[in-house]
Amino acid sequence: MNTWTRQRFVLLGIIALAVVMLAACGGSSTPAPAEPTQAPPQATKAEAPAATQVPTEASAAKSPVALRVTFAWPTYIDPAVGNDFSSSAALVNLYDSLVFPAKDGGVIPWLAESWDTSEDGLTWTFKLRQGVKFHDGSELTASDVVYSMKRLQTIGEGYAYMFENVADVSAPDDQTVVFTLSKPSGLFLLSLVRLYVLNEDLVKANTAKKGSYGENGDYGKDWLLTHDAGSGPYMVKEFPLEEYLLMEKNDDWWGDFVENAPDEVRFIAATETATVRTLMADRRLEISDQWQTVQALKSLDAIDGISVAAIPTMTEFYFMINTKIPPTDDVHCRRAMSYAFDYATAVSLEWEGTKQSQGPVPATLAGHNPDVFVFPHDVDKAKEELAQCKYADELDQYPVEIHWISEVPDEEKFALLFQSNMADIGMPVKVVSTPWLSVVENMSKLETSPHIVTIYVGADLPDAGVMLNQRYSSATADQWLQNEWLLDKDFDARIADALATVDQNERYAKYYELQDYIVDLAPSLFVYDQVEKHAVQDYVDWPAMKGEMSPMQGYYFFAPQIGVNPTQ
Amino acid sequence: MKLLPFIGKRAFHAIFVLLGLSIVIFVIARVMPGDPARVAVGAHAPDWVVQDIREQMHLDEPLVVQYFYWLRDALHGDFGVSLVTRRDVAQDIIEFFPASLELALFALLISAGLGITLGTLSAWHKDKFVDNLVRVLSYMGVVTPSFVFAILFLLLFGYLLHWFPTLGRLSEDVARPPTVTGFMTVDSLLAGDMVAFWDALKHLVLPALALAMGSMAQEARITRASMSENLNKDYIAASRAFGIPERYVMGRFLLKPSLIPTISIIGLDFAANFSNAFLVELIFVWPGLSRYGMNAILRKDLNAISAVILVLGVVFIIVNIIVDITVAKLDPRIGLRSARSE
Repeated sequence: MNTWTRQRFVLLGIIALAVVMLAACGGSSTPAPAEPTQAPPQATKAEAPAATQVPTEASAAKSPVALRVTFAWPTYIDPAVGNDFSSSAALVNLYDSLVFPAKDGGVIPWLAESWDTSEDGLTWTFKLRQGVKFHDGSELTASDVVYSMKRLQTIGEGYAYMFENVADVSAPDDQTVVFTLSKPSGLFLLSLVRLYVLNEDLVKANTAKKGSYGENGDYGKDWLLTHDAGSGPYMVKEFPLEEYLLMEKNDDWWGDFVENAPDEVRFIAATETATVRTLMADRRLEISDQWQTVQALKSLDAIDGISVAAIPTMTEFYFMINTKIPPTDDVHCRRAMSYAFDYATAVSLEWEGTKQSQGPVPATLAGHNPDVFVFPHDVDKAKEELAQCKYADELDQYPVEIHWISEVPDEEKFALLFQSNMADIGMPVKVVSTPWLSVVENMSKLETSPHIVTIYVGADLPDAGVMLNQRYSSATADQWLQNEWLLDKDFDARIADALATVDQNERYAKYYELQDYIVDLAPSLFVYDQVEKHAVQDYVDWPAMKGEMSPMQGYYFFAPQIGVNPTQ
Repeated sequence: MKLLPFIGKRAFHAIFVLLGLSIVIFVIARVMPGDPARVAVGAHAPDWVVQDIREQMHLDEPLVVQYFYWLRDALHGDFGVSLVTRRDVAQDIIEFFPASLELALFALLISAGLGITLGTLSAWHKDKFVDNLVRVLSYMGVVTPSFVFAILFLLLFGYLLHWFPTLGRLSEDVARPPTVTGFMTVDSLLAGDMVAFWDALKHLVLPALALAMGSMAQEARITRASMSENLNKDYIAASRAFGIPERYVMGRFLLKPSLIPTISIIGLDFAANFSNAFLVELIFVWPGLSRYGMNAILRKDLNAISAVILVLGVVFIIVNIIVDITVAKLDPRIGLRSARSE
């Protein structure tokens, strides 16, 4: 081939490339009609501008109705591993638990039809529902429950920490499960919503011999990364890591689906604003993730057919104050901060519906004390308290550092507001942006913990005691859950006693007293109860928006109760 | 120097480069704040679970001992387990690397094809309207980060015009072809699935274009500068004086020698695109190695960080070797002995 021929060959190559690109454009510039939120039958229709199109009857009949939600990666669908936001949302759809959370904070029967407890509160007996089938068609029995609990405890990750007091579990017959606790617990029944029941035979058949769990090999962990072994209303169809989790409806599920429950649920691993906006505007995404900024949500809210749902959560936004270093080791200094902070302005910076926290636990949690003292924004009172602080005359020597988490840019404005408010009472404050991993590292030791860290903390169970325990007991002092370093033995004993109280009313009464106790110490600024903001298509009937679902993490994405009607 | 000895020598040198790289990244990853075991299992996990992970990863051992274990395993192809994906890092690399490679190769096709064409046009019409236009476009391409192009293309061609898909590697309703090479386009062709091939190709366009813009602009400028310099040489004037057609002069006598610096830049751009694609992959939800690597860094996934950096190091080395060979072939005066990295 001579040079000129070669050049022409190269030129032809370039032209071919251009033709391919133009043809690719052309292929979708005149898209065939496609149903807005349904996966269309033809590849060329999938990315069509669906909002303005009318579905044909044939395509509507064939296309599965999809509920698509964006989430932050990673998602773990192994019940002994996952416990974060997206993992929880997946687990509640793939697996069944013995009990199910009610919207008011209690539980309702689920796999367990009934239960009984011994007088000492140490033995719990559950009778299982008959005829429940796993996704492979085999029957769910008590042995599967025993296996699931033992596997969870052995692996020790995920929600295993909720079952540390389970000393034994047994299955006297196929329909009966007996749990024996090492000490009484007022939370055991509630905790069982996080025991997701696995198909023992299926997991064993897919267990690698080589692993960290002795004769149990890898306990099926590798296989369960991308497969499910559940009996829940949806089952895994595809799970390419870092891309999406696609679950399809389990028509043989024993429970009820609402009329327009989705045929498929797709969790998409994307939180980038431009990506989410494009998908929402194209009606190729039904619900956005919770990580969109207020500004991004306002922009989405302005699009016809999209609303923003503000869902109360079990999460509170705290300014965690180190109680062991000057000047914040003086309670009067901390109270001065609590009075000087402008809560109303802080709340106004958030989405509509956000409310100032009423004490150290979110109001959504059962056992929250509605009469607990709430610090108002009162500069005079703040000055009075500051005058009683032993560092009042030497505040310049103790500038307070407030650290906000770099990865959550929205937090900066709250730190700046705090700085401005404290200037009003003459307290110097330095605002510091710190990456999350450094925050965790710093908070693990008293000597490196800053004066204040701004952090959102959520409760895993809708119970005030859970939050009080994880926020203020000495056991969590070196974790990111607590910057206060309260190290209060009296509090430790009282919260342990409260959590062990089986009688609900008695337990809540103890919680009330503990909330008063904490507020008096002013170890934190209780800024606001977080509302989770999601952009939602108007054709989605999401009970969580109406307060009809449990606020427990993941449960408001329980798809059998979510209606998706794209023709609406 | 002949080709095989040249490659052998460069491969030998590469061993030391990779060894050095592994030491540097091993140390840097471990001095970053945060306990990777605790980050992986969360605040609630009991201490014994955290300690188990620390022991499995030898995190309680001195740094030198940790490196020894890591190197021993790595030489056997075992890069450990990722704390994020919870599976072998080698398996992750096998899955995510082809996605990035396919994207980078497609971006290379676009940037090299359009960059050289625009550079040639620019030189041909030096100081005229076309040249000025290409110059402005090139400046824009060079100064604008690829993620800005990514967002722009996403909103323009994906959201407003609906010309191209914007999410992932394949549409929701298109069945994934069996994985053979990991290249979605190639695998769909191998499976004889033209619907999937066409769909995969369309999914490549926007992320590849976003990634290619900066490189394309740079390559256009380099080509233009190189051609302009050669344009004034005597042999070009002589060719024209002999009445050789202008198109032939441009293509045969001017473009070929002028491409040498461009080829070098293309090679570097390709390797750089590979590692810089993080935001583009994030925006288009592209399951590639850059996104995987960045997630690994954010979560202090030590094994994944080391493996990704090593893979990127290997890519740089291979690309450099290819560039040297190509340059030597284009200009025999240079030859492999005097290739720039020697």
